[in-house]
Amino acid sequence: MRSFFRLALAFALLVACDIAGRLIVWGLSLPVPGTVVGILILLAGLVALRRVPAPLKETAEFLLAHLNFFYIPAGVGVIGYAALLAGDLWPIVAALFASTFLAMIAAGFAFQFVSRLMREKGGGA
Amino acid sequence: MSDIGIQLIYWDRVLEAGFWILVTLFFYYFALRIQQALHGSPLANPVLLASAPIIGLLWGADIWVGDYQQGGQALIWLLGPATVGLAVPLYRNFSRVRSALVPMAVSLVVGSAVAVLSAVLIGDAMGASVETIRSLAPKSVTTPIAMGIADAIGGYPSLAAAFVIVTGIIGAVFGAMIFNAFGIRDARARGFAMGVAAHGIGTARAFQEDEVSGTFSGVAMALNGIVTALILPLLWLAFS
Repeated sequence: MRSFFRLALAFALLVACDIAGRLIVWGLSLPVPGTVVGILILLAGLVALRRVPAPLKETAEFLLAHLNFFYIPAGVGVIGYAALLAGDLWPIVAALFASTFLAMIAAGFAFQFVSRLMREKGGGA
Repeated sequence: MSDIGIQLIYWDRVLEAGFWILVTLFFYYFALRIQQALHGSPLANPVLLASAPIIGLLWGADIWVGDYQQGGQALIWLLGPATVGLAVPLYRNFSRVRSALVPMAVSLVVGSAVAVLSAVLIGDAMGASVETIRSLAPKSVTTPIAMGIADAIGGYPSLAAAFVIVTGIIGAVFGAMIFNAFGIRDARARGFAMGVAAHGIGTARAFQEDEVSGTFSGVAMALNGIVTALILPLLWLAFS
């Protein structure tokens, strides 16, 4: 029972950080998503605390492991646009597949290339 | 006391939303079981495996998608707090992330540019409508940002949201295959590229692989959202 209460508290903390982030973004009309600011708020808190409380770790890891769950309604929402998609179906299919692959290859190569370059410069450290 | 009437409407909606959340949970559980049976294969993407039967159910029973989204909206809202949880692995891997700032910056710029340009050029070359192309441009960033960008450059926000989801699923399903084929073995690079190209759904997949990949994917998703939101509308104005 006590551990359940602690997990609920950890979840409430995540919700509070998210809401705080959304409010800050809305109040200052920042061009970033509120959730990103929410991440930074929690990160700042953890840096100040210098450790991750166990219930928070457990809750965050559980939610991240099941992040897919929260995307299902968005997946269902895609059908709403089937009619809009119909006319441009093939260009869309080609663009989405090819572009996603190209972006992954480009970003992956760039990261790995620069990372190796830096390691060599740093004397193999 | 008018609050009795308000409460009746309220409970009605909560029940309907709760029902659809349970339905979603049911299909998510099955999607996970299928993925487990396939040894965690990325081909068995849980978003795809769970949303397809729900779509079939709604069509078969002639239920309006808006009814389903009574519950769906609640889950989409909960995506926020769940994503805030990224701060935990980010904190735990802080030194790893900090020591990779330069590769991350280069990868971010290259990856987001390729994501936008290739989508626009391919769509244009294959004769897609201007509105479609404008909705394709922000496909690699998270939904709320992509919708804002599409709106700013004259696309359809809702169409952009659909492209974002499909992009995420494509990235999550084929990412590992692509990285293996092109010799991208560094877990940090794999995660980061996944986050740049396939945002949150890619990040969800990356976390299924390992924490380092997931963390870098989450960082990439957040950074790409910010960079694309700031730069894309400006570039669009400059070149059109």
